[in-house]
Amino acid sequence: MAELLGTFEQAVLLVMVRLGSEAYGRAILHQVNESLKREVSAGSVYTTLDRLEARGLIISKLAEGTPARGGRPRRYYAIAADGVRALNDAHRTMTALWASIQWPAKVSR
Amino acid sequence: MKAAGSPPRWAEFILERLLISKDRRTVTGDLREEYVEAILPRMNRIRADLWYVRQVLSLAPSCASARINVHKVLRLVSLCTFVCACWLAGVESLLRHSGFVMRLGIDAAIGLVALAAILVRPLHLGIRAERCLWTGAIALIGQGTEALIRNARSTHFEGFVLVISLLLMLQGILMFFSLGRGIDTPRNAGRGIGSLE
Repeated sequence: MAELLGTFEQAVLLVMVRLGSEAYGRAILHQVNESLKREVSAGSVYTTLDRLEARGLIISKLAEGTPARGGRPRRYYAIAADGVRALNDAHRTMTALWASIQWPAKVSR
Repeated sequence: MKAAGSPPRWAEFILERLLISKDRRTVTGDLREEYVEAILPRMNRIRADLWYVRQVLSLAPSCASARINVHKVLRLVSLCTFVCACWLAGVESLLRHSGFVMRLGIDAAIGLVALAAILVRPLHLGIRAERCLWTGAIALIGQGTEALIRNARSTHFEGFVLVISLLLMLQGILMFFSLGRGIDTPRNAGRGIGSLE
């Protein structure tokens, strides 16, 4: 089994799955904020993207910018085969863990 | 000065200096786009600018760790702080001026925080233990600032107090930047947003 992904890493990868070919830095940052319903800093998102890329779970390529960006290029990210495998592993592991317990648990007073 | 509808120029300038060339234009472009299209329409200019500055600050630790080994610098500064605390404690217990017991306690606390900052990584005490040390970092910054202000107001300015207070503040800031953030570990060494050049 591949090394298990952290919760935030999973969140970033799942957002990338949702965005598909539109997954670039700003879109990922924006979508992670929306999905987690809290303000996530750019530092957390870019550091996670950087780490995932260094682990070979995602790949990136540059594309042209827009006037709103002052003409600066966009870096688009895509999930690599190892990334899909890591997500599948994480999903399987979490499903198995949740399936092994009764939920919701009763709160004892 | 800044153009209408664009993030603070000084903050963008700092971010550009912090990031390595690979990320310089893409990351600043992303933040500018988010600022213009999502943040500015939702809130007033001051709050939008604060949002931008917060993003720059959130990127600073990973950029800094990509350029310098912050933890190595922290260990060195902590060692200096520890030596200073021992020296101060020694002097206090020799001179025994009034209130020396309280000052001895403060010196011991500073020494312990410095020692903990040196040992927390080599002993693999974990990210939680590192985050506990943020309390010590706040205390060190507070103590350093207080000593600095008191020294500035004092009738005779003492150089060694200035050095020690700056050292305490530097250590506190470095503790925030390098501990409890999962950077500089063997797995992540040299990574961070600025390191994939």
